Amino acid sequence: MRENKPLEKIIIDLKERAKELNCLYEVQEILHKPGATIDEICNKIIQAIPPGWQYPDICQAKIVFRGSEYTTKGFQESKWTQCALIKIQEEEAGQICVFYTEERPNLDEGPFLKEERKLIDTIASQFGLHVLHYQLKKVFEEKKSLSERKMNEWEVIVDLLNRTDPKLLIRISRKMVNYLYWNGIKEAEKLLNYFTPAYKEDDDLFTETNRPHQQKTGNDLTKLSPEIFQTAGKYLSEKEILANIQKWIKEDHSGFLVNILENTGSSLAEISSAVERFHHITPHSLELSPPREKSFRVALINRLLSEQHSFIKIAKQFIKVDSFTELMHKCIFPVGSHGKLGGKSAGLFLAQQILKKAAKENTLLEKIKTPKTWYITSDGLFNFISFNNLEDIIEQKYKDIGQVRQEYPYIVHIFKNSSFTPEIIKGLSMALDDFGDVPLIVRSSSLLEDRMGAVFAGKYKSLFIANQGTKQERLIELLDAVSEVYASTFGPDPIEYRSEQGLLDYHEEMGILIQEVVGKKVGPYFFPAFAGVAFSYNEFRWSSRIKRSDGLIRMVPGLGTRAVDRVSDDYPVLIAPGQAQLRVNVTLDEIIRYSPRKIDVINLEKRNFETIELRHLFRDYGHEYPYLTKLVSIINETHLQPARPMGIDFSKDSLVVTFDSLVNNTSFIKQIQTVSHTLQKSYDYPVDIEFAHDGEDFYLLQCRSQSSRPECSPASIPEDILPEDILFTANKYISNGTISDITHIVYVDPQKYSSLSSRKDLLAVGRAVGLLNKILPKRQFILMGPGRWGSRGDIKLGVNITYSDINNTAMLIEIARKQKDYVPELSFGTHFFLDLVEADIRYLPLYPDEGGMILNENFLLNSKNILAEVLPEYAGLQETIHVIDIASFTGGRVLQVLLNSDTEVGIGILAHPTEISGLKEKRDASLSKALKTDTHWRWRLQYAMELASRLDAERFGVKNLYLFGSTKNATAGPASDIDILIHFTGTDTQRSDLLSWLEGWSLSLSQTNYMRTGYYTANLLDIHIITDEDIKKRTSYAAKIGAVTDAARPLPLGTALKD
Amino acid sequence: MNRSVYNPFQTAQAQFDHAADLLELDQGARDLLRNPMKEFHFSIPVRMDNGRIKVFRGFRVQHNHARGPAKGGIRFHPQETIDTVRALSMWMTWKTAVADLPLGGGKGGVVCDPHNLSPREQEQICRGWVRQVLKNVGPYSDIPAPDIMTNTQHMLWMLDEYEAIQGEHFPGFITGKPVGMGGSQGRTEATGYGVMIAVREALKELSVNPENTTASVQGFGNVSRYAIELFQQMGGTVTCVSCWDQIDQTSYAFRKKDGINLDELLSIADPFGGIIKEKAADLNYEVLPGSTWMEQEVDILVPAALENQLNADNIKNINSRVKLIAEGANGPTTPDADQFINKKNIFLIPDLLANAGGVTVSYFEQVQSNMNYFWEKEEVLGKLDVKMTSAFIAVSDFAKANKLNMREAANVIAVSRTADACRNRGWI
Repeated sequence: MRENKPLEKIIIDLKERAKELNCLYEVQEILHKPGATIDEICNKIIQAIPPGWQYPDICQAKIVFRGSEYTTKGFQESKWTQCALIKIQEEEAGQICVFYTEERPNLDEGPFLKEERKLIDTIASQFGLHVLHYQLKKVFEEKKSLSERKMNEWEVIVDLLNRTDPKLLIRISRKMVNYLYWNGIKEAEKLLNYFTPAYKEDDDLFTETNRPHQQKTGNDLTKLSPEIFQTAGKYLSEKEILANIQKWIKEDHSGFLVNILENTGSSLAEISSAVERFHHITPHSLELSPPREKSFRVALINRLLSEQHSFIKIAKQFIKVDSFTELMHKCIFPVGSHGKLGGKSAGLFLAQQILKKAAKENTLLEKIKTPKTWYITSDGLFNFISFNNLEDIIEQKYKDIGQVRQEYPYIVHIFKNSSFTPEIIKGLSMALDDFGDVPLIVRSSSLLEDRMGAVFAGKYKSLFIANQGTKQERLIELLDAVSEVYASTFGPDPIEYRSEQGLLDYHEEMGILIQEVVGKKVGPYFFPAFAGVAFSYNEFRWSSRIKRSDGLIRMVPGLGTRAVDRVSDDYPVLIAPGQAQLRVNVTLDEIIRYSPRKIDVINLEKRNFETIELRHLFRDYGHEYPYLTKLVSIINETHLQPARPMGIDFSKDSLVVTFDSLVNNTSFIKQIQTVSHTLQKSYDYPVDIEFAHDGEDFYLLQCRSQSSRPECSPASIPEDILPEDILFTANKYISNGTISDITHIVYVDPQKYSSLSSRKDLLAVGRAVGLLNKILPKRQFILMGPGRWGSRGDIKLGVNITYSDINNTAMLIEIARKQKDYVPELSFGTHFFLDLVEADIRYLPLYPDEGGMILNENFLLNSKNILAEVLPEYAGLQETIHVIDIASFTGGRVLQVLLNSDTEVGIGILAHPTEISGLKEKRDASLSKALKTDTHWRWRLQYAMELASRLDAERFGVKNLYLFGSTKNATAGPASDIDILIHFTGTDTQRSDLLSWLEGWSLSLSQTNYMRTGYYTANLLDIHIITDEDIKKRTSYAAKIGAVTDAARPLPLGTALKD
Repeated sequence: MNRSVYNPFQTAQAQFDHAADLLELDQGARDLLRNPMKEFHFSIPVRMDNGRIKVFRGFRVQHNHARGPAKGGIRFHPQETIDTVRALSMWMTWKTAVADLPLGGGKGGVVCDPHNLSPREQEQICRGWVRQVLKNVGPYSDIPAPDIMTNTQHMLWMLDEYEAIQGEHFPGFITGKPVGMGGSQGRTEATGYGVMIAVREALKELSVNPENTTASVQGFGNVSRYAIELFQQMGGTVTCVSCWDQIDQTSYAFRKKDGINLDELLSIADPFGGIIKEKAADLNYEVLPGSTWMEQEVDILVPAALENQLNADNIKNINSRVKLIAEGANGPTTPDADQFINKKNIFLIPDLLANAGGVTVSYFEQVQSNMNYFWEKEEVLGKLDVKMTSAFIAVSDFAKANKLNMREAANVIAVSRTADACRNRGWI
């Protein structure tokens, strides 16, 4: 609009500017005229003002200063006014106002121009400065003359204060009275009375003036101060008085901060400006006493970061008041906000401060960076909700979980179509200007996250945004992401989790963390050279030489998402920083098989988050990949060659991500170890950190206590276990966790295995295990056997299996039985260690021959062995392989394995499923979802019976229908399928009819399961059709029918049809 | 220890006894060949990263060197036993003899688990190993090579220690070195090409034109890839190949009845020997369960992946059209399956012969290293062809002359050649 204005308008504008300048010059002249009194100056200024304004004819001016009022001739007030405060040393001393006596068209500020606003502000501030100068000059002059009659130094100060800052003098007088009183000086008692309200009232009674109460008291107290200081002079040394006055003046400078921080009602905006002001005065005039500084720290931590005692205890040692200044600059909050930043933000901020402090003593920490981050405070969410009148949504958490799940997509939709308050939009817009167009991650930072070790990892959304395009596009994208993260508070997963953890009734507020994504642009992509997670404690040791305190790093090339979560189709690289040379994978085969193949990136062109094949990336953009030679090795026929600068031919060479050069030739491992140790020491508990490296710098992205991760929470081991209930104990290389509801054990007897006489028999044991792996209920059986499972060397050392032969087990146990004079080395599952880790299959080594360890061989060898029933063709191996259906042998009990690496105790106990339902929940929670233990099988059973009752046996040629597996055994989890065995005698047409009839059931049951649990399984029914011939031959599934234990359960057919 | 316990050395001796019976060897020859001629057991002290000394057990067994310097790998294994090493050294004697290389058989190892060792510690073990047997190994007495859990890097450390002590260069001391560091061209192709050279010769004997044959191959690693490449060059058609799928933890067979296109499949394979099944389906390959590779209606089966793949349970599933099986892998056929194959009159090229291409090129590496002159790839592959062809013809003629099947013939000819060499030297 402005660009197009006609010439005429421009001339008018210029004239206005000239008028304004004239006015300013005139004011300057008035102020600088020597010898002028305040009265004179004020009277002249009001004359000078009107000509400077756009409509001088109708312009009136007024100055109110220290109780006096100066006005232009014929002054009258009106509603068209513009005022500016006169401040002297931050104290309001009066104001200058301009009035138009008639209405004029609306411009920038009512009828006034924005230039006029500047003008009046300038005049007011010039005036304020002049008065201050005037006062000080007077004081100095007087001091000069007084010093001739040898005044005490403190007297000079008191006098000076009396003239320049009477309020300060009152506060200091008050402190002096207190001081005298505390020092046992009688006269002070009388003085103290003056400060009590009672005194003021009395005083009121005796005065006859009608001046305002406040002012009177103030003046009176000022008059009191000579008396107070005379008393002080009598009892205290001059030095002592002076020292005290100086100390109090200094402290008084920060008084504003005390007032704001101590007042729980003060808003974030007030705190922010107070912190800002504090920041500006600290360098010169502030020396806070340590207790006062500490009280500031604690108050700020309390208001902004966390009220958790444990957090404050640590944070107050590291976070300085000044550290908040920059933080506050990057905070976005609603008007009158009382929010906090949330757990994630607080954790990162604290870690940052700890490292900053430690960097002074350790150069390795000097270059640790944190990405640029902006924060939206936790009450932003409620502000958003109320601004859009979405209050109903708060009730969401009390609804049935199925309903929550159903309604969630609508909530997301509504949130994404709601608007933000202007101050939030403004804040985010500022944030975007600060970030520029680098990709961003919008993460939740929940207040509940730092509470009681609750694990919200992955419950709320974190969204990557490309942040490309015009400012408007970027802002829209950012707002969209924030609203989606907000919506995730009302998603089924967090609500379900909160309900399990008993956190539902806590008020959930969610802060937001907007972080610059660390990385470099490579082709159309953006990503860090590598990223990952580092743990202080290693809970996944793959060698007996690795100690728990050696730590663990999981890292991947590109964005750290693939290292933070378990990925089913790929492998992160594991390194124990304390033993960085002991890698999981040693042979070329292993290294290649278990190396990362994919990479998470942000595609800047498509503006989305993508997973792409590493080899394609190397082929197309290998030259641009930052730090690549530190990350990859070249496969050179039969060996790996570390990549060297200029040594890679991207069109030909096969590259494999090994991080070899990073480990061997850089200080990275030392650096991350130092970070981890430093944080662990400061927090006084093990931590896990997320990090990223852009090829130049190491960035810390997150820091929290390690025990808050599900896989790291130690099991509490009961003390009153009966010895006969113990199956085994372990005290070495224990990880943390609880494995419950194990219904079957496959035990390969070490003695019998090693005495097998032919290679054929040894191989057969492996094959039998592989078949058991497919038949036994998934993740409800454990494998126990000698030495090294899956050893590719000497078959005698351990059962010859591949990962696919054991991939359904819940746990793999290697038993090291003493042989003659030595105990064999165990493999720690290294042959498929990464497979085990990614599939959450636990590994445990047992050393039963060591003192105090238990292995209940009596139970394992003498419980009924059902191998011959399950796998008739391997009946010949039943001396060696024992398959135990625990429940049927123990009267309904199951095996539960409790692991606690803090105490290095692992124990396998037989317990009733009910006894451990609490633990089951814990485990399910650790698998991130799930409802109560017994609900999954119950409704599955109901539906299975319903299905059977509606099955027309004649129509489909079905003789019998059986239920087996987890649904029958009452151990189904949220992802379990329903195993059904159908004895079929019909024709091919009937068979295909039957299958399509069942498919319908299967699909609708999958949907039901999804609604209940959030688990989506393509087909919930797992149908096994067997024929007469199968039954005759008793092939594996048919063997389930009429089996002595764990028999498939027949369900009555067609009962619903007959009715 | 229970005497009936499985012992690989006893199994190897039993196999030898069978051949010795057929050759009617006298007791002296049996006593010499049933056991290794030399065994070295030694301790290797290593200063570990934590400063402590740990002592590792090392072995070198030279089963027989009548035909030439002993040749065989060095294994790193945590529970290595001397009996395993003995059995494997004997197997190397037969292997070099079948391929008719002027070499004997050896094997060595160290009891250790590289998973528990840092690279520096492994290097110290390698150098320690060489120092302990320095006087008993060398380019003209015993030539080590990589084996289980040892690789090129270990070989180079060993070579360096050997040369450092000798003060001269002896690249022929060890094989398995990278090209440019005393390694030979053509090693990657050797085994796969060798398999198909044997197949070519077998087809000649069966009077079948390779251009009219189809094959199904198990595995998609180095052996299979080069076997397929050469077979297609010979004019044959590969209709099916199977490989392991890491994600699904199962194997799949990829079939195209009018012949697979190797380059196409390589372009959708990961470098780890797996073919991405979705992409294969896009290219109109049928994706079948892995076990179906052997059920295909083809002339030739090439098991080139793992051991015990053709066994009593599945051998009856092979198609009646199959007339030739070439064992690209070690021990892919169990004895039960062997009987069935014999009964059906299917021509079998045993592993000892079929995958001899690998050891042959190792021999070439040694030869080239000794003269410090390295051939171009074409020369290596040309010489490989000559060696493989004559080895095949020798075994085949021996089988026909003595009415043995190919597996028996290979075993017997190996023992026979070794016994002859001992006899000629006047040992027995």
